[in-house]
Amino acid sequence: MKPCNDVLVVDDDLDMVEVMELILHDAGYPTRTALNGKQALDAVAQAMPALILLDMLMPVMNGWEFARDFRARYGREVPIVVATAAEHVHSRGDAIDADDVLPKPFEVSDLLRLVARYVPSPQPAPSY
Amino acid sequence: MSDRAGDVVPGGTDPTALPDLTHRAYSAHRIAATVTAVFATAGVSWVFITDILLYRLTRDQVLIARVETTKGWLFISLASLLLYAVTFRSSARLDRVRRLTAAAVESIGDGVLLLGRNRTIAYANPAAARLLRCPSKVLVGMDASEFSRRFRVSYPSGALVPPDQYVSQRVYDEGGPLRYKAILHPPGGHDVVISVTAAGVRLQVGEPSTWVVSVMHDITAADRLDRIRDQFFAAAAHSLKTPVAIIKADVQALFPTETPADARVAASVARQCDRIDRMVQNLLVLARAHSQTLELRPSAMELRPLIERISGESTWSHRHDLHTEVTGALPLHADPDRLALAIRNLLYEASRLSPADSRLTLMAHLEGDRIAVGVRYQALPWHDDVGETYGEYDDIGIGRSVAQTIAESHGGSLTSEDSGSERTSWLHLPGDAGAHA
Repeated sequence: MKPCNDVLVVDDDLDMVEVMELILHDAGYPTRTALNGKQALDAVAQAMPALILLDMLMPVMNGWEFARDFRARYGREVPIVVATAAEHVHSRGDAIDADDVLPKPFEVSDLLRLVARYVPSPQPAPSY
Repeated sequence: MSDRAGDVVPGGTDPTALPDLTHRAYSAHRIAATVTAVFATAGVSWVFITDILLYRLTRDQVLIARVETTKGWLFISLASLLLYAVTFRSSARLDRVRRLTAAAVESIGDGVLLLGRNRTIAYANPAAARLLRCPSKVLVGMDASEFSRRFRVSYPSGALVPPDQYVSQRVYDEGGPLRYKAILHPPGGHDVVISVTAAGVRLQVGEPSTWVVSVMHDITAADRLDRIRDQFFAAAAHSLKTPVAIIKADVQALFPTETPADARVAASVARQCDRIDRMVQNLLVLARAHSQTLELRPSAMELRPLIERISGESTWSHRHDLHTEVTGALPLHADPDRLALAIRNLLYEASRLSPADSRLTLMAHLEGDRIAVGVRYQALPWHDDVGETYGEYDDIGIGRSVAQTIAESHGGSLTSEDSGSERTSWLHLPGDAGAHA
């Protein structure tokens, strides 16, 4: 499998996927998207991303199931950041042994700071 | 109307009249002494008066002897009748009280278990038998260990309740009444959620309990409704937060490219998104607190990064000059999300109730073994009329109530302190001084 230096956004809400993709793209990060855990597993099978931004409540395959399958197949090779509007975001992150959490709604600056922590920025990010 | 002849208590006492169970009756000694005194006085009077009359009427010794014998028999007969009447009346009263008490306990809709001095079940009312799906005669004589084996009593968390931790056992030693919520798993049936209250029965204050009354109230339906309501609120909160998150991200994405005026509008939209998000979280906490289902996910944490994160949020510096004063390491065991919500609520209250451009100070320091988190602000003159102006259920009132709930659920408190025109809201939380040692 070829490694890829992009960010994989996994969220079932198309508007959320679109705005995160827009923000990350503007900041210079190549981005791929998936609408559920199953699509995300297919995406990582093609190319391993540098970071996964993972929603938890999704149809077909939710965030917990994705994280369990992903960790079983690939270990801790790629950091996972839980991005969710659900309650107890920190304990949800702990439940899947996530590397970080991003509670929704989030500040764009927080999103970019988190991504920059795990993915080297290819170009200076605009200041939000 | 049916003939209630079966309810008529021997002796003619009105069966519908309730016995006086609430006041202390005359003592048994006093009643016995009164009856004995009346009997002795009447007997002596009888002997004395009839003897005087007899000796005035005749000197015939044979006649006197016969009359004395007749008097003796008459006295025995009257005394026997009197004894019968007194005993009958007392027994009838006792029987009536016993029957009324038994009928009252048997008609109670909640399950009632009566435990004796040996800590086993001495009595189970029909509702208890129905609740436990077990005949009363099987329950009688059952101890806590056998009860645990048969009904697998657990806490709502799923952990089994050790038999010695049943409130019906603890109340022998701790006094009471004691109350808890538990789940029964009767064999061959659905689980039953119960609220149990146990109280010791003492004949004298200070004596150990000789009996224990344990009342089991079936709250399965109410508990299910609470769960549905919780799920609804959680789903509604999630559904509301997602579009708010998208709107906020969208408007922030406009910042770098639009004009300063647009940027101001976008910043305002972002702040209002944060406000809606905070209100949704507050309503969720408030609903769960009211249904006693508020859950904390505490973990060992250091307060300083949380304070720095919150103080860095643009909402607070928009119209105010926010300063932070954090002293030393502040380790504590708390739910970071709930605690952040409480602090944001106090900052929001301060920002609403202080003049624009005034100074807000977010403070945190150790006070003995407790951590104090304070928000100081310059109070507006009409500050004290907030309740009347906005009402209890304005977002300020709800926010403060939620902050207090969160503080208290952590074992802490929320207080206010006035100093001239300045007011400080203080959250005091138990520290975790040994955590990082």
